[in-house]
Amino acid sequence: MLEVKHLRKEYGGLTAVQGISFTLQPGDIFGFIGSNGAGKTTTIRMIATLLEPTAGTAVLNGADIRKDPMEVRRMIGYMPDFFGLYDDVKVWEYLDFFAAIYRVPNKQRGEVIDSVLELTNLTLKKDAFVQSLSRGMQQRLCLARCLVHDPTLLLLDEPASGLDPRARAELKELIAELGRMGKIVIVSSHILPELADFCNTVGIIERGELLAFGPVSKIVTEMQPHRVLAVQVLRDSDELIKQVAEMPNVVAATAGSKGEIRIEFTGSLEDQADLLAALVSSGARVAALREDSADLEDVFLKLTTGALN
Amino acid sequence: MIKDTWNDLIIHNPMLIEVTRFRRRFLSASSAGSANGIILILCLICYATVVLVVIENRDSISPIALIGFETVLLSVLAPILLYNAIAGERERRSWDLLLAAPITKTQIVVGKFMGAMAALGVAVVLFQVPILISARSFERAHFVTVLNADFLSVTFLMFVCSLTILFSARVKRGLMALGATLGSLISVLIVLPAILAGGNSDRHYTDVAFFLHPFIAFARLYEVDDYLFSQAHSVVSVSTLTKSFTPATPSFFEGFVQPIWWGWPQALTYLALAIVCLGWASNTLNFAENEVKFLPHGHKDA
Repeated sequence: MLEVKHLRKEYGGLTAVQGISFTLQPGDIFGFIGSNGAGKTTTIRMIATLLEPTAGTAVLNGADIRKDPMEVRRMIGYMPDFFGLYDDVKVWEYLDFFAAIYRVPNKQRGEVIDSVLELTNLTLKKDAFVQSLSRGMQQRLCLARCLVHDPTLLLLDEPASGLDPRARAELKELIAELGRMGKIVIVSSHILPELADFCNTVGIIERGELLAFGPVSKIVTEMQPHRVLAVQVLRDSDELIKQVAEMPNVVAATAGSKGEIRIEFTGSLEDQADLLAALVSSGARVAALREDSADLEDVFLKLTTGALN
Repeated sequence: MIKDTWNDLIIHNPMLIEVTRFRRRFLSASSAGSANGIILILCLICYATVVLVVIENRDSISPIALIGFETVLLSVLAPILLYNAIAGERERRSWDLLLAAPITKTQIVVGKFMGAMAALGVAVVLFQVPILISARSFERAHFVTVLNADFLSVTFLMFVCSLTILFSARVKRGLMALGATLGSLISVLIVLPAILAGGNSDRHYTDVAFFLHPFIAFARLYEVDDYLFSQAHSVVSVSTLTKSFTPATPSFFEGFVQPIWWGWPQALTYLALAIVCLGWASNTLNFAENEVKFLPHGHKDA
C-alpha cells in the first residue's frame, strides 16, 4: 500500500506541490493528470526518493521515503519522462546490470531477464545493442528495467510520450497487465482518453494542488451528477425548451448548438422513453436523442483553469 | 565489515559493467564508434614502433625513461577516458535511473574508477614489454628501482583517474571536467614548477619544492642508479643531470632529500590522494541541477 501524506515541495519562493495526500492499494493504476508544470513530475520524483520533500512524506509498505529511502528504492520501479540508456551495452547486459543493482540472485537473473523481455515484447532484441533500438523499444526497455526486481510500485512519468499509436496501445495493455499482477502503478500523462481506458483511479493536479482523486466514474459523477440528454429538433426550440423544463425528472433544459436542447435529467430509461413520447406528442419534430456522457477530458477542463505555478 | 565493504565495492559491485563499457568503447575495433578501429590500429602501429625502437636501442634507453614516457601518455589518456564518467550520466539523463536504484554513491564512483583502471591496466601491461626489454639490457638501471618507478607511475595514474572522477562529479558538463583535469595537471606539473623554480637550480631547494612531482622523482631514481653504476664500474655517468656530481662527489646523498625518499613515498602519497579524491567525489554526487539524492545524515547507506 502507498500512503502519500501531505507531501509538499518548495523551491525558494515557489510551492511546486502543496501538501497532497492520497492512498493507493495493490492493483491500483493511478492516472496522474495535470498540465505541464502542475506538479506531477515533482510529486513522482519525491515518491521515487529523488527529491526531498519540504514537508510531508510517503510510506510504501511501511517504508518511509524520508527515513528509509534505500528500502523504498528496492520496492519501486521508476521511469522518468526523459531518460538515457547506456548505448554501448547489449539489451540483456543492461537488464543484468540493473538486476545486479537490485540484488536479484545470480542464478535467477537469466530467467528474470527472459521473462521481462517477453513481457515487454523485446525477446528478439535480447542480444542487440541498446543504441540500435528504436525510441519505442528503448521506452519498453526502460520499462523492462523497472520490472527486473518485481517492484511493488511503478512510477511511470509520461511513459507514452514519443510513441507511435501501435506502441501506445501495446504500452497501455502492458500497464493494465501490471495492474492485474497486483502492482501499484502511477502513470502521468497528458493523453486523457488513454488514461481513462486503463486507470481505475485518477488524480487531477493543478498548481501543486490535488483537485480531484478517486475512480474515474466517481469523479465524473461528482462533476456531472445528472445525465445529460441532447435532443435534436427541427423547428424553433425556444418554446420547446420552456415546455421541457416543466416535464418530470428534468432538472434544467438549455439550448445547445445546432438547434439542440440539452436536458439535465434525473430519471431512468423508462422515464427517458416517456420524455421522448411527451416531446413527440407535443408536436416537436424530434430528429435525434442521445445521452451526452462526460469523460475525463470534460472533467479535467471543468476543474482546471490552465494556470501554472 | 571489511569483507562486506570489499564485496560491495569490488567483487559484487554492479557498476563493474563499466569494465565492459570501457572495453567496448576503447579496446574494441568493432564497437559503435566508427573511428575506433582506425584509432586502435594507429595505436598498435605506434606501440610496435616503440617496441622496435627499444629493441634496437636496448642498451641505451633507460627503463625509467620509458616509464616516464608511459606516465605522460597515460596521464593524458586517463582524463579522456573518464571525463564523462558522471557528468556524462547527467547530460545523458541516465543519472536518475541510477539514483532511484538501491546503489550507493561509493559503489558508483568505485565502479567508474575500476572501469577506467581496467582499460589503463591493459595499456600499462603492454608498456611492460619494452620496459622489461630495456631493464634487462640497460645496465645502469637496477631492477628494484624500475619496480619503484613502475609503482609510482601506476599510483600517479590512479590519482589522475580519481581527480577526473572528482571533477566529473562536481561539474555539469563532461568537457568542463576534461578541461579542469587537464588544466590542473598542466598547472601543477608544468606551470607551478616553472614559477617556483624561477631559475633557481639549487638542488636542495628543488628537491623539497618538487618532492611530490612524479617526473622529478623519476629523474632522481634514474640519477641514483646512474651514479651508483658509475661508482661501481668507475665510468663516467651518462646522465647530464648527475654529471656535475660525478665522478667523486655524491652530493645528492648529502642533500636534503636522501635517495631512499624517491619513488615509494610519492607513490603512497598519490595513492592516498586518489582515495581522498574518490571519497570526495562520492560525497559530492548531489552537485547537479536536477537531482537531490537524499539520505538522512548518519543513515547506514549515506
